[in-house]
Amino acid sequence: RGKRLLVDDLLGNMALRNAASFLGQRLVGAAELGISAAKSGAGEALTNAFVTDGVRHASNQAVKQRIRAIKNIGKITKAMKMVAASKMKNAQVAVEQSRGIVNPFVRLFGDHPGVEGKAGVTVAVTSDRGLCGGLNSNITKYTRALLKLDTAAAGEAASTKLVAIGDKGRSQLMRAEGRLFSYAIADTYKVRVTFAQASLIAEELLKSNPEVVKVMFNKFRSAISFKPTLATVLTPEALEKQLTEPTGNRLDAYEIEATHERSDVMRDLAEFQLAATLYNAMLENNCSEHASRMSAMENSTKSAGEMLGKLTLEYNRKRQATITTELIEIIAGASALMDA
Amino acid sequence: MSLQISILTPERPFWNGQADEIILPTETGEMGVLKNHAPIITGLDVGAMLIRGGQATGSKDEWNSYAIMGGFALVKQNQVTILANEAVSAENINPEEAKEAFEIAKVNLEKAEGVKEKVEANFAYKRAKARYQVVKVLKKI
Repeated sequence: RGKRLLVDDLLGNMALRNAASFLGQRLVGAAELGISAAKSGAGEALTNAFVTDGVRHASNQAVKQRIRAIKNIGKITKAMKMVAASKMKNAQVAVEQSRGIVNPFVRLFGDHPGVEGKAGVTVAVTSDRGLCGGLNSNITKYTRALLKLDTAAAGEAASTKLVAIGDKGRSQLMRAEGRLFSYAIADTYKVRVTFAQASLIAEELLKSNPEVVKVMFNKFRSAISFKPTLATVLTPEALEKQLTEPTGNRLDAYEIEATHERSDVMRDLAEFQLAATLYNAMLENNCSEHASRMSAMENSTKSAGEMLGKLTLEYNRKRQATITTELIEIIAGASALMDA
Repeated sequence: MSLQISILTPERPFWNGQADEIILPTETGEMGVLKNHAPIITGLDVGAMLIRGGQATGSKDEWNSYAIMGGFALVKQNQVTILANEAVSAENINPEEAKEAFEIAKVNLEKAEGVKEKVEANFAYKRAKARYQVVKVLKKI
């Protein structure tokens, strides 16, 4: 999947045809291959035809093949857009409903994004598949900035672990911040995202006893707007510390009634908060992914259409030029015979 | 009409409304909350939660019940927030099914061997018991 095709000669359109034949199958994986080839191949064809005109033509046959391939790519991207649109509609309902449970926690514990914890965990929520616009690189950018802030604030004592949910985040962050990168969780969106999944991930994250867990995800504002958002979840010890700060929360107002110690209840509550926040974050990111893919595929279809128009013009022009040349030759030959 | 209650689950806000009294299945037993209760945070066990009066039922003295699969309850200034892993309303539970499931779960619990099986069986038993209790309460009260 990561193969880069060198499209020197126009036999690169073989890859385009392969990509086109994947229509109806695994659209995303194959289309990635095809689209990268189409971009480089068709672009080169255009430059070859117009810039080096007369020296090395794209043969008309090859242009025809390219036209066919681009038409198919356009069909693929249009289908992907519709699939993404319907998925987004389904996901939107789930997202809006999952927001309900996050608010009481924020009301109770407050939101403290500026907390500097010595042992923190930063989670970047990304998608598994690509072709979704700049979503994942955006998250990576913000996560890296956040990590820089954290390490600057806490100094060398900082030990922030970096966790990525989603394959795209894994590859990008491993390359960018390999030192801090801890582990990645993939294939979360294969089946529906469930609260059980989120609880499991939360448990895993809390194993290392961090002071604060920061979750970076794309919040779904609307079909065209997804903002990278940071959710901060404090563990009980950090919460107690917060109580003494001037901006601390009013947790003291509550009496805790339980068989166990207050700290146990608080720890369970914090774990529940982390699970609910993660669940909401994953759903929001999932919905943003579909919305972003929808607009990316829309743009793709549009540019495929434009490219198609340009190539068709070139094809027809060449075809007419060939016919004209032949006619001229025939007429010239005939008139030469007549003269003679 | 004095308590403002919201039951929230991760998937969706389950129910919002007003009531006169609410009985919570806490880990230390059943706890009733009336108007002007002291602020409290408590963990909830898997069990039946009862709500009296207000929008939950027609009259002031009728009870409605919900099965709560664990969670937390926050009470402050006549505002009760229930954060539950899962919640099922009594109307949505089939009584015969619930009874059957309860019997089966009880048998499984006694049969279970090994730590993992015992824990799973215990959990299934608690869930089935909660659902059965909810249905029983509705028929009795």
